[in-house]
Amino acid sequence: MKPEELEKILKEKFGENIFSTKIPENKRLFIKINGDIVEDFATFLKENGFDMPITMGATDFLKQKRIEIFYAIWSSTHDFVVFFKYDVPRDNPVIKSLVKIWSGVQKFERETWELMGVDIEGHPNLKPLLLPEDWDYEKEGYPLRKDFNVNRYMSPWGDEKQ
Amino acid sequence: MRDMMSYRYHPFNEIVELEGGLFQLNMGPQHPISGQGRFIVITDGEIVYSIEMDIGYSHRGIEKILEYRNLMQGIVPIERMVMLDTSNIAMGYVLAVEKLYGVDVPPRAQYIRTIIMELNRIISHLYALGLYSESAGWNPAIFLWTTADREPILDILEMITGARWSYSFFIPGGVRADLPRGVKERILTTLDYLENRIRVYEDSWIYNETFRMRTEGMGVLPRSKAIEWGAAGPNLRVSGVPYDTRKNEPYAAYDELDFKIVTHTAGDSYYRGWARVEEIKVSIDIIRQAIENIPEGRIRVALPPKPVQEEALARVETGRGELNVYMYTEGRDKPYRVKISPPSFRNFYVIEQLPKIQTIRLADVPPLIYSFDPWFLDADR
Repeated sequence: MKPEELEKILKEKFGENIFSTKIPENKRLFIKINGDIVEDFATFLKENGFDMPITMGATDFLKQKRIEIFYAIWSSTHDFVVFFKYDVPRDNPVIKSLVKIWSGVQKFERETWELMGVDIEGHPNLKPLLLPEDWDYEKEGYPLRKDFNVNRYMSPWGDEKQ
Repeated sequence: MRDMMSYRYHPFNEIVELEGGLFQLNMGPQHPISGQGRFIVITDGEIVYSIEMDIGYSHRGIEKILEYRNLMQGIVPIERMVMLDTSNIAMGYVLAVEKLYGVDVPPRAQYIRTIIMELNRIISHLYALGLYSESAGWNPAIFLWTTADREPILDILEMITGARWSYSFFIPGGVRADLPRGVKERILTTLDYLENRIRVYEDSWIYNETFRMRTEGMGVLPRSKAIEWGAAGPNLRVSGVPYDTRKNEPYAAYDELDFKIVTHTAGDSYYRGWARVEEIKVSIDIIRQAIENIPEGRIRVALPPKPVQEEALARVETGRGELNVYMYTEGRDKPYRVKISPPSFRNFYVIEQLPKIQTIRLADVPPLIYSFDPWFLDADR
């Protein structure tokens, strides 16, 4: 299967729930979908041979008040990458875990939960991963969000507690 | 019982007795074999019940730092991810930028990049082999040998780039400088020397019956699980998945060179070590071809003023496996968001899952983990 063929199949299957698609280069398919259908969409991809998750994360759009969740899945049979993403509201970001579909996204989702502050329903192992254990989320915030105060940590004088 | 907080408040207890006769061993971060992380091993007698890779001891927030640097400045922090393998890591970032801007890099620059990346892969694999032999309780000389054999290659890299590591040599649009005079002969001499040394490693270590008995059949990663859990690099290839980014999605000059992918179907610890030796041989072959076929011409083009794409996903093959960099930009010279997905991060998940499908003994844990070539700084970012 080529990215163009999959694009056509997905558009037929999911219709209006696919907001936009693009193929910027060989072996890539970028898709923006409706967040409500993400589980059906992921199951459909898995059934069609997209079996290996290669990355997962989130982008914070502060001005537009949304957080964009993205997954990149490689297929060992078709040898190209589907990169799909969907929006969640920024003030209440809750997503459904896809660990049951792709086991390998577990650590990536855990990292997103920790650094971006996205709640993940149905994740088996939500524990701090990278940040210090005494990290105060209410005071410090989530590091990868755009309103995180970086200046506290980037002082040219090396004084962290200004 | 396995709540993360409970042991974090008792960090100095090496062994904690849990209920049901289980013991929790904290290997690291001061353990001699652990590196900059910790393995939390829960054992039932000698049988390993679970392994957890506790990372984050060297988290520097490189993804966040990159949002505050322009595209050229970002090369410096991203190289700090893996000091052994800096040019391959930097290539991922540079390739993502080039995809955003739609730049065609001159062929001579592509060949220079290929030579440097393969030299870098060799030193990365040599270090991995040294650590693997150390962790298997094997002759410590192997580690000293591989460390010593990295030196002539580091000298070549210093000659080309000006630094032994963290070169900042690849820039979007090309490379910083041309190859210096006399470097080709020196590389060829060094490769001849290295081929002889690899024969020594094979005789004394990798084809040695004792090492085979120690590691063969240990930590078998089946093909279906390797894909499902997202293993990367040689660990994926010896499980029977012929995926190599250099071949599947060629970047730099790899599409013009003729080389084979090292694969196997065994998927055990022994063949993960074997694959790295074989990959060094492939890298030597690639460098020889690249030196022979390197074209004349420019080594650098300027970037256009505006990016043509909004987002890009670049995949490159580093020494430890596939690194991918997702970059989103709003049309400024700074990335809005960079998501780096390093190979060790994915391999750690595979290591954690392995005790669930087979019996692993406690004495096998260090060689098992080091057969995956983990690098904590890589996973931490």
